[in-house]
Amino acid sequence: MALPKRIIKETERLMAEPYDYPHVPLTVFGASSDSLSLCISRVSGINAVPHEDNLRYFDVSIHGPAQSPYEGGIFRLELFLPDDYPMTPPKIRFLTKIYHPNIDRLGRICLDVLKNNWSPALQIRTILLSIQALLGAPNPDDPLANDVAQRWKDDEPAAIQTAKEWTRTHAMT
Amino acid sequence: MSEDLEHRPTKRQRFFVDSSDSPQDSAGIVDASLPRHCPGLGDRETEQDAQYNVPETPPAKRVATPGTLGSPLNPPTSSKARRHCTADDSVITSPLQNGTIQPVTHEAIVHPTTQPSSPNGFDVDLFTSIIGETLPADSLQLIQSASSNNVERAVNIFFDGSWKKPAKATIGRMPTTIRQTLPLTSKPSRTSSSTASISNIDGTPLEHESVMRKQPATRYIGAFGVGGWATRSGLALLKHGDSVRIERARSQPVAKRGRGGKLFVNNKGDILTRFTNASGQEIGRLPHETAEWVSTLIDQKMCQFEGVCVFIPDRVRVNDTIYLQLRCFLRKEAFQRGPFVGTGDDNRSTGLFEEKESTEEKSLRLRQVALVKLFHEINLQPTSINPTTEKHKRDGLLRAAEMAEQYDGVKKEKEKGKSSKDPNDSSSEDDTAELEDDQLDTLYRKAQSFDFNMPEAEPAPTFRLDLRKYQKQALHWMLSKEKDKKDTRERSMHPLWEEYSWPTKDVDDQDLPSVEGIDHFYVNPYSGDLSVDFPAQEQRCLGGVLADEMGLGKTIEMLSLIHSHKVEPHPDVSNGINSVNDLARVPASSTGVVSAPYTTLVVAPTSLLSQWESEALKASEPGTMRVLMYYGADKAVNLRDICCEAKYATAPHVIVTSYGVVLSEFRQLAAQSLIAPAAQGGLFSVEFFRIILDEAHMIKNRRSKSARACYELQAPHRWVLTGTPIVNRLEDLFSLVRFLKVEPWSNFSFWKTFITVPFENKEFVRALNVVQSVLEPLVLRRTKTMKTPEGEPLVPLPKRTVTIEEVELSEQEREIYDCIYTRAKRTYNDNVEAGTLLQSYSTIFAQILRLRQTCCHPILTRNKDIVADEETVAAALDATNNLKDDMDLQELITQFTASTENPESEDRSVKFTAHALRQIQTDSSGECPICCEEPIIEPAVTACWHSACKKCLEDFVRHQMNKGVQARCFSCRADVDAKDIFEVVKHPLSHSATAMDEFTACDPALSSSQPAPRISLRRINPLSPSAHTSAKIHALINHLSRIPPNTKSVVFSQFTSFLDLIGPQLSRVGISHLRLDGSMPQKARAAVLSEFTKTEEYTDEIIDTEDETPFRGRPSAAKRSQSEAPPTVLLISLRAGGVGLNLTCASNVFVMDPWWSFAVEAQAIDRVHRMGQLRDVSVTRFVVKDSIEGRMLRVQERKMNIAGSLGLRVGGDDGEDDKKKDRIAELKLLFE
Repeated sequence: MALPKRIIKETERLMAEPYDYPHVPLTVFGASSDSLSLCISRVSGINAVPHEDNLRYFDVSIHGPAQSPYEGGIFRLELFLPDDYPMTPPKIRFLTKIYHPNIDRLGRICLDVLKNNWSPALQIRTILLSIQALLGAPNPDDPLANDVAQRWKDDEPAAIQTAKEWTRTHAMT
Repeated sequence: MSEDLEHRPTKRQRFFVDSSDSPQDSAGIVDASLPRHCPGLGDRETEQDAQYNVPETPPAKRVATPGTLGSPLNPPTSSKARRHCTADDSVITSPLQNGTIQPVTHEAIVHPTTQPSSPNGFDVDLFTSIIGETLPADSLQLIQSASSNNVERAVNIFFDGSWKKPAKATIGRMPTTIRQTLPLTSKPSRTSSSTASISNIDGTPLEHESVMRKQPATRYIGAFGVGGWATRSGLALLKHGDSVRIERARSQPVAKRGRGGKLFVNNKGDILTRFTNASGQEIGRLPHETAEWVSTLIDQKMCQFEGVCVFIPDRVRVNDTIYLQLRCFLRKEAFQRGPFVGTGDDNRSTGLFEEKESTEEKSLRLRQVALVKLFHEINLQPTSINPTTEKHKRDGLLRAAEMAEQYDGVKKEKEKGKSSKDPNDSSSEDDTAELEDDQLDTLYRKAQSFDFNMPEAEPAPTFRLDLRKYQKQALHWMLSKEKDKKDTRERSMHPLWEEYSWPTKDVDDQDLPSVEGIDHFYVNPYSGDLSVDFPAQEQRCLGGVLADEMGLGKTIEMLSLIHSHKVEPHPDVSNGINSVNDLARVPASSTGVVSAPYTTLVVAPTSLLSQWESEALKASEPGTMRVLMYYGADKAVNLRDICCEAKYATAPHVIVTSYGVVLSEFRQLAAQSLIAPAAQGGLFSVEFFRIILDEAHMIKNRRSKSARACYELQAPHRWVLTGTPIVNRLEDLFSLVRFLKVEPWSNFSFWKTFITVPFENKEFVRALNVVQSVLEPLVLRRTKTMKTPEGEPLVPLPKRTVTIEEVELSEQEREIYDCIYTRAKRTYNDNVEAGTLLQSYSTIFAQILRLRQTCCHPILTRNKDIVADEETVAAALDATNNLKDDMDLQELITQFTASTENPESEDRSVKFTAHALRQIQTDSSGECPICCEEPIIEPAVTACWHSACKKCLEDFVRHQMNKGVQARCFSCRADVDAKDIFEVVKHPLSHSATAMDEFTACDPALSSSQPAPRISLRRINPLSPSAHTSAKIHALINHLSRIPPNTKSVVFSQFTSFLDLIGPQLSRVGISHLRLDGSMPQKARAAVLSEFTKTEEYTDEIIDTEDETPFRGRPSAAKRSQSEAPPTVLLISLRAGGVGLNLTCASNVFVMDPWWSFAVEAQAIDRVHRMGQLRDVSVTRFVVKDSIEGRMLRVQERKMNIAGSLGLRVGGDDGEDDKKKDRIAELKLLFE
C-alpha cells in the first residue's frame, strides 16, 4: 500500500528541521484546548525516524523537558501509524522506563489527544510535543499508573525524586 | 337450400335478369354480390347488352357526364361530337362541381390514331380578332383545348367565361414549350373537386368507351372442364355434345329477410350454380369449388358461361358426376364498370368514421379471386406483366383475399376493444405488422437511387440563399412535380395490371372473330378490374414526398420552391372587366372555399413554427416574403379575406401553422358541420396554392384526427417533408399518400388489399414491390451518407466526436441504486420463474425506469409530495438559520468585517471568522490539515470556518459518526453538524465585477491587480433535496466549466424533471443556461431559441442556419458585446428537441441519459451536427458505470446491428405491445 502523501510529508518535516517547524498546524485563533496550544513551543527536543522496512513505524526519542523530573533524560518511544491514520491517532508507547502518573509500566500513555481528543489536524510532531508537555506537567488526577499517581498525590516531592532517579537510571545511559 | 331450389320460379331462370329485377335491388339492399352496380342503373345496364352504343346509359362512374353535355360552356359539343372528340383525342372533359371544365388527358395507345389535332389548326389570330383582346399563351391554349380547336366554340367558351377558373388554377405554371407540343393541355385535377380524380381512381383509363363501341357484348376468352354433379335422376337427360345453360341458383333473399326484420345476407348459400338443359330443366350443379367463383362472375356480370356436356352416364342418378366443358365469355360490362364507384366518395364522406372494409370492398375481393381462378382454369397467361409483380402472384392474391376475410374479423374484435379508448389518439397504433429494417432498405433502395445527373433548376432571384447542387436538383424535381403531372419518364403499364391477348382460336381450334383494334385486354388481378385500354401508370398528385435526410435542407429546398413557383395575378383580376367571369366564380365561393392562389400553407410541429418563419424571411430578399404565423392569438384573422385572389399585394406568401391548429379547426368544423366552412374564415375555408406538411410523420396514423384534418386541407400542390416516411409500418406511408391524394393509393381498401394484407401474409416481396412502385415517382430522398460521383459527401459536415463518459455514482447514490436494482432484479427473477414476464412487463419496465432515473439523480425516484415537503422544511430552516444552503462569501465577509469594526464585539471568534473567510477568498488557507495537500483540493469549510479538502472533511465526519461519537471539528473540536459543511465554489470570472469593486474598496489590503472571482459557500448536503447534486450533474458541470467560453452547449435529457435539477445546479456554479421542453408554449420556445442563438458569431452561413430573431435585423456587434453574457447552455428535453430544431450555434452536446435506441439520441445530436454547423462537434454521453445504463448501451448496440444503413427506425417507443417480445429479449440483456 502506497504511503499516503500526508505521512510522507510529515516524515520529511520531522527529518528535515526538527527545531524550525514552519507550519503552524493549529490555529492561534480561537483554539479552545489548552493542550493543543502547547505545540506552539519552539523549544523542541524530539526526534522521530521511520524504520526503513516499515515507513509507518517510527523510532522516537524525546528529551525530558527542563525544570521537570525528567530533565536530561532522553526517552525512547515507538510510534506506529495505523492504516486509517490520520482518522485514528497514531499508536505510541514509551520504550524507556519512566516514572509518571500517566504512563504505565508498559509505556502506554494516557493522553486525551491520543484518545478521544484526537483530531486529524494533529500530527506526529504535535503529538510528540504533547507527550513532551505531559512529561512537564504530570496529571495524577487522570492516572494510568495508579500507584504512581497515588504517590504523586500523597507525596509529590518523593514521587518527583523517584522520577528523577528513574530518569537517571533508564534515560541517561 | 333444397327448399329454395324447389320454390324457385322457373320463369326466372334466365340470364342477366337476376340483378335487375332482384328483390334485393329493388329493396335497395346492399348485397355483397352486387355492390358494384349502382342499383338505379341496373336496368339500364341490362338494356345496354343489346344497344351498347347508346351514350345515354353511361356506366355509374360517368354519372357526371350528362352535366357536361348540358353544360352551357360547351354547347356545340353534342354527345356525338363529344364522343368523336374522345375517340380522336382521348380527352374527356369531365365537369367540375362548379360547372367549369376540366380536361383530362389519357394517351391511349390502343389507337394508333390518337394524334393530337395540330395546334396550328386553331387560328389564333382569328380568335384574337373576334374576342378583341390578346390572351396570355396558356389561357389561349386552355380555351383552345376546351374547344377542341374549333374557333367558333372557342369564342363561345371565351365569352361565357367558363375557361377562367381552371386557367387560374394553373396560372402559376410557366408557359413551357413542352406543353405546347403535348396533344392537349392536361390540367391538374383540382383536388378540391374530386369527381374527376375519383372516377379515375385506379388508373383505368376513362376513354374505354371509345373502344368499347367495337367491343362485342361478349367475347370468348377460354374454356375449361368441370365435373358437375347431378341433382336429379333420370334417363337421357342430356347427351354428349348437348349444350347446357349455366345459371345461378339464388337463394330467396326475401325469405331470409323476414326474420327479425334484419337485413340478412346469406353469403354462404349464395354460390349455387346450376346447369340446365335446353328445356330449362335443372340437371345438376357445379361443384362447390367451381361454383364459388363462377357464381361471382355471373353475379357481377363479368362473364357468361356456355356449357357443353362432355360426358353423362346414360342413366343419371343424383350425385352422379356429369362432365361439362364450360366456355367462358367476358361480358362487355366487365370492362365498363367504373372501378371503385363511390369508394372514392366514401373516402370523403365517411372521412370521420372510416370503415375497415365495406361490402363493396368485399365484393371486389370476391371478384378478384374469381378472376384469378378463372384465368387459372382456362390457363390464360398474360402476354405482358410487370416482372416484379409476377412472382408469387396468384397464390399471393388468393391468399391475400382469404387473409382479408380473417383479418377483417380480427380487426373488428380489436376495434371493439379499442373503441373505449380515444381512437383519435395519434399514438394509438395499428396492430399491423411492422417493417423489418432490411425490408425498409429494399423499399428505399429505389427511391434512393438518386441520380446525380438530375437536371438542376435555379431558384427565383427573390430567393436569397445559395443552393447546393443537390438542392437545385430537388428544386427541379419539385417544380416538375408541381407543374407537370406527367413527367418525362417513360409511360409504363400500371404495375398492378397485366396484359392479356384475346384468344384467336377457341377450345375447338376454331377461329374466333377478331375485333379490330382490340387485340389485348388488361386485367388488374388485384382488383379484378378489366380494361381494354392500356392502363398507364400515372401519378396525378402535384407534389410528393421530400424525404431527404435530416439536415440536408428540406426547409430551404421547399422555400426555394415557394419562391420559384408562384402565381402572378391575372392581369384582368384587378380590372374588373370580367363581370361574366365573376358570375362564373360565384358557385366556387358558395361552396365555401375561396382560392388563395398566392399562399403556401406550412403545417409544422409547434416547436418548428418560428424556425419556419425566420428561415423563410432569411431565405428571401427583403420584401419578397410575407409570412403569417397562424397560431395562438395570431389566429384572429380571416384567411378568406387576406388570402383571396384579389389581394395579390398583401396576401401572405406563407402561412405557418401547427398541426394542433389544423386539428382544432377541423374539430370546430366537424362540430358545426351544418355551417359552411366559409363562415369560419379558417384554414379549411381556403384553397391554398400549396400545402407543406413538415415532419409529416406526425400524421402517420391515418386514423388520427390530425391526419384526417390534414387530408381535408385543400390545395392543388401538396408536399410532405419527412426524414422518415415510414416509421414502423407500411401504413405510415399510406397516410402520406392519402394526404397527397395519389390515386389510387389514397383509397385505403385499395392500399390494404394490395399492400397491407399481402404484407401481413408474409408476401413481403410483392407488397414491397408495390410500395416501391408507389414510392418511386413520389419520393425524393437523399441521405447524408450519399456521395457525389466525385466521392464527395453531399454535405460536408465538420467532424463529430462521440465519447461515452462513465460516471461513478456517489456512495449515497449507489446505495439507492443498489436497493432499487435488487428489487427490480427480484421482480424480474420471480417473473421469469413464473413465466409471466410478458404480463408483468410494464411493472418491470417501470422499475427499470426507476433505475435509470436513479442513475441521473436519486431524487427523481422519490415521491414528489415528500420531496416537496422537505423543500418547505428546508426553506424554513434556511430562514431561521443564518447558514444558508448557498451563501455568497463576499456577503459573509462584509457581514463579519462589519461586526469586527464594532468595538463591542471584540470577539476572537468573529475576528477569526473574518480572517478565515478571507483566507478562503484569497486561496491562502495553506494545506489541508488532514491530508496535507496544498492548496486544499476542493476546499470545504465547517460552520466554524475551518477549511480542509472536501473529501477529507467528509471522510473525517463519517469516520467519527461511524464510531458513534459526535463529530467535532478537526481543528477547534467544536461540534460539527454533518449538514453544516460547505464547499467553496468559485464562480467563473464573469459578471462579478461589481461585487469585486465593492470588495476592493472596503479592504484595500486584499485587493490585487486581478479581481478575485466570486465565491460562494454551498452546503454539501443541502437541506433542500433538489439542491443535491448528483454524480452526473457533477460530471456535466465539470465538462461545462472546461469548455471555452465562446462555444455553446446543448444538454439533452429525456427526463424533464432531471433538467429541473440540472438547471439550478448550473446556476449555482454561475453557468447561465436556457431551457426548452415540450411543455412550453410556442412563443416561449421561440424566445428561448432566439436567445440561445443570439450571439452567434458567424451570421452568414450558407444554408439552413437559423436566425431566430423575429425581426429582420440583428443587433449590431458592438451592442451585443455590451450586453450581458448570453447563455451558453441549453437544457432541452430529448423528445422536444429530437425533431427539426436547428441548434447549429452550439458545438458541444451532452446526452445525460441513454435512450433505448441510439437513433433517438443520434437525432438529437443531429440538431447540432447538421448543415450549417461549421465547427467540430463534440458529443459526450454520460453513462453511469456498472449500472443499467451500461446495459442499455448493449441494447442499443443490438438494435444498431439489426438496423440497416438507413437508420430509419426512429419512433422507438411506438407500438409497445408489438415490441414486447423484442423487449423481453432486451430485458434479459438488462438483467442477466
